[in-house]
Amino acid sequence: MGLFDVFQEVYPTLLEGLGTTLQITILSLIIAMVLGIFVCLMNISNNKVLRAIAKFYIWLIRGTPMLVQAFYIYFAVPQLIQSVTGSQFRITVFTARLVTLTMNAGAYISEIFRGSIESVNKGQMEAARSLGLSYSKSMQKIILPQAVRTCLPSLVNQCIITLKDSTILYAIGLSEIMYHAKVYVGRTMESFATYTWVAVFFLVIVTVLSFISRAIERRLD
Amino acid sequence: MANDVKIHVKGLKKSFGSLEVLKGIDAEITAGEVICVIGPSGSGKSTFLRCLNRLEEATGGEILVDGESITAKDSNIDKIRQHIGMVFQQFNLFPHYSVKENIMLAPVELKLKTKAEAEVKAMELLKRVGLAEKADAKPKELSGGQQQRVAIARALAMEPDIMLFDEPTSALDPEMVCEVLDVMKELAAEGMTMVVVTHEMGFAHDVADRVFFIDQGIIMEQGTPEEVMDHPQNERTQSFLSKVL
Repeated sequence: MGLFDVFQEVYPTLLEGLGTTLQITILSLIIAMVLGIFVCLMNISNNKVLRAIAKFYIWLIRGTPMLVQAFYIYFAVPQLIQSVTGSQFRITVFTARLVTLTMNAGAYISEIFRGSIESVNKGQMEAARSLGLSYSKSMQKIILPQAVRTCLPSLVNQCIITLKDSTILYAIGLSEIMYHAKVYVGRTMESFATYTWVAVFFLVIVTVLSFISRAIERRLD
Repeated sequence: MANDVKIHVKGLKKSFGSLEVLKGIDAEITAGEVICVIGPSGSGKSTFLRCLNRLEEATGGEILVDGESITAKDSNIDKIRQHIGMVFQQFNLFPHYSVKENIMLAPVELKLKTKAEAEVKAMELLKRVGLAEKADAKPKELSGGQQQRVAIARALAMEPDIMLFDEPTSALDPEMVCEVLDVMKELAAEGMTMVVVTHEMGFAHDVADRVFFIDQGIIMEQGTPEEVMDHPQNERTQSFLSKVL
């Protein structure tokens, strides 16, 4: 079969899988941004305990492959809980993947936020505080608006990474795009055409994302 | 006379790690006085100034402003800073706001003025520093001297009764130093209590009521400009002045 014949046959199922991929990616990115803000604020706070928790979390996520994290959350953690509580504990594939992606992106996003906040000249905070503004008001009005500009490119980049990484997680089984592709290939042996189309789908999405990010950057300048 | 003491510094000490920068500073600054702080770089003069509004936390001693301790842990520093203006060497204007918004921000955010009132005040201050036509410009469109004048206007918008200046002309091209010093002279003439860390010896001589010579973390010598600058008694003051004059 030619490339386009395969497309005719496979695109509905690939699109369906892509829908799942996008759904889980977007959902986890939204939660990860909130998580990232909190972890970042913990990481730059004066409280030693909060700082230690944030640093431990980032260290753990950065130091382990996402596939290991996914297996850990899907298989290892439920077993641990089961052996501690003695009762049956199961977690759905969707939840496991959502948690994995969120935990993973959250750690990186918190570091992106921290980098941008620290890149704002420290005189800005001093000037704001010297006028009598509180720490949180100064953050809100002076530091964060400036940090947002610097963090946008890295943030979009992280979104792209998370979107692509989400395919690794087909290994714990969820009917997303790679899963559908693999099933189709298993049935028809059309590896070349099928995986080409999977790649094209991602290229299209990532290209669109890059355009949007450049447009936002231009508007902010 | 004791009532007139605006800033009372008692045995102020400040260390950064094992490095002791201020080794016990005592000073009384009277309302309306202009104090110029001079001394070699690294002597602790900027640190002294930054302790006065607690941008640096003192590690020892006490600072009273209007009789109220600002170094006590339970003091409301945000409230106290509202009437102590500060001008920085690097201006530190907020780049994402216009000149006018820079000046309006604090009074509006702290709910001391409505937006309309703050705007009237901002325009009045900009006129005063000669920059009314730059109200809607962004800070980066201004020269260094203009930025520093906006920074002074921003501090004045809070209607402070004390102004701290941390080497306000050190980052300026020579031809812009004058325009900033002129604004400061005017402020001094109006009776503002000012503490100015500066390398401008001419300004210190002409405008200061008293000069503090800080070296090695203490006030080595203080007095009128005539006493300290024309007839220094301390050998270190003499050696410093012979290098800069």
